[in-house]
Amino acid sequence: MPSRPFEETVLPHLDAAFNYARWLTRNDADAEDVVQDACVRAVRFFSSLRDGDARAWLFAIVRNTWYSRLSRRSRAEVMPLDQTAEEPADRGLDPEARLLQQRDVGRVRDALDRLPIDFREVLVLREIEGMSYKEIAAVVRVPIGTVMSRLARARDRLAAVLELAVPVERLP
Amino acid sequence: MTCDDVERDLDPYTDRELPARSAAAVREHLDTCPACRHRVADREALGRMVRSVPYHEAPDRLRARIAGEIRRSHSIRRLYTWAAAAALVVSIGAAVSLMRSVGRTDSAMAVAVVDAHVRSLMADHLFDVRSTDQHTVKPWFLGRLDFSPPVIDLASAGFPLVGGRLDYVSGHSVAALVYQRQQHTINVLVWPTSDPASGTTASQVRGFHVRHWVRQGMSFWAVSDLNDAELSEFARALQPA
Repeated sequence: MPSRPFEETVLPHLDAAFNYARWLTRNDADAEDVVQDACVRAVRFFSSLRDGDARAWLFAIVRNTWYSRLSRRSRAEVMPLDQTAEEPADRGLDPEARLLQQRDVGRVRDALDRLPIDFREVLVLREIEGMSYKEIAAVVRVPIGTVMSRLARARDRLAAVLELAVPVERLP
Repeated sequence: MTCDDVERDLDPYTDRELPARSAAAVREHLDTCPACRHRVADREALGRMVRSVPYHEAPDRLRARIAGEIRRSHSIRRLYTWAAAAALVVSIGAAVSLMRSVGRTDSAMAVAVVDAHVRSLMADHLFDVRSTDQHTVKPWFLGRLDFSPPVIDLASAGFPLVGGRLDYVSGHSVAALVYQRQQHTINVLVWPTSDPASGTTASQVRGFHVRHWVRQGMSFWAVSDLNDAELSEFARALQPA
């Protein structure tokens, strides 16, 4: 049993859990449902956390929750994508740079959303959550070597979609 | 080290996951190879682009739904505890033992309250909000708790309010109000209760003095290393007629 209560141990990672769920599900409604279900499970299984890494533990539950939902749904069902909202651009930039920045952010997000889920999630966990390979391996339940190769392939694909230079021999 | 080796280690290198010796070998190669430097720079640029995408923050309605779920699970747990206690009492089968068990519950709570007091002093986490102004402290709890604790400054009675924080006592979130008397700290822990209003009861746990009363649906626990008489004075001051 963790030495500190659920509210102090797990809840500080709620934003991170939602961000991760949002990237997995690609829409707000599913992400909210998944995080809520995951938190209910997390409360129930709180005693299994010990004093380990609460964020990775919560992420693993979020991931399981999403995959068990997915398997209940028809895989063919098309997930609606949210309308891309206006991005709050950096106010310090002049109007033209701001427009450019909004366009770029939208482009990167679309490109990420179009990556296969296995690639998308390792990129989000690594780049946005700053997790180590070991932590990612614990969330995704694959060996560290797999995390490494998935990241490499995910980045190659993303660079190709964004039309950045990619070593030719590594193109998927 | 060749360009192919760098190619293979490109991701763990930019992710700083390579062992120090291998990373040094890559760096050495980069010093002499513009093409590989370019590859690394591209990887880093790609990382910056991904990180530039705004974070999806949990919406408030989700927070509220989850807070509700947690409260429900706590109250279910309390119900189980109660059911277990009730079963025990029935097996003993006497009204007297029921009264004793209530007494025991209260003394267990006094221990939990003293633990919270000691924790707040030892862990140097006395305040989440540090203010002598009740109009700053009271609103601070809004949105952090699902009840609004009464906050009164007792500076005129010689017990100035110095701040507040969130604390946890036997599974629920409580408001902790911190008062000062010279060098002594007084913690007042407050949470809602369905118990009927009661007068002040005094107890002592490990040398700390404790006062407890129920008023207007709130359970109050005051704890301090202050002497008994002064804590009584404080408890009286906190309960205006």
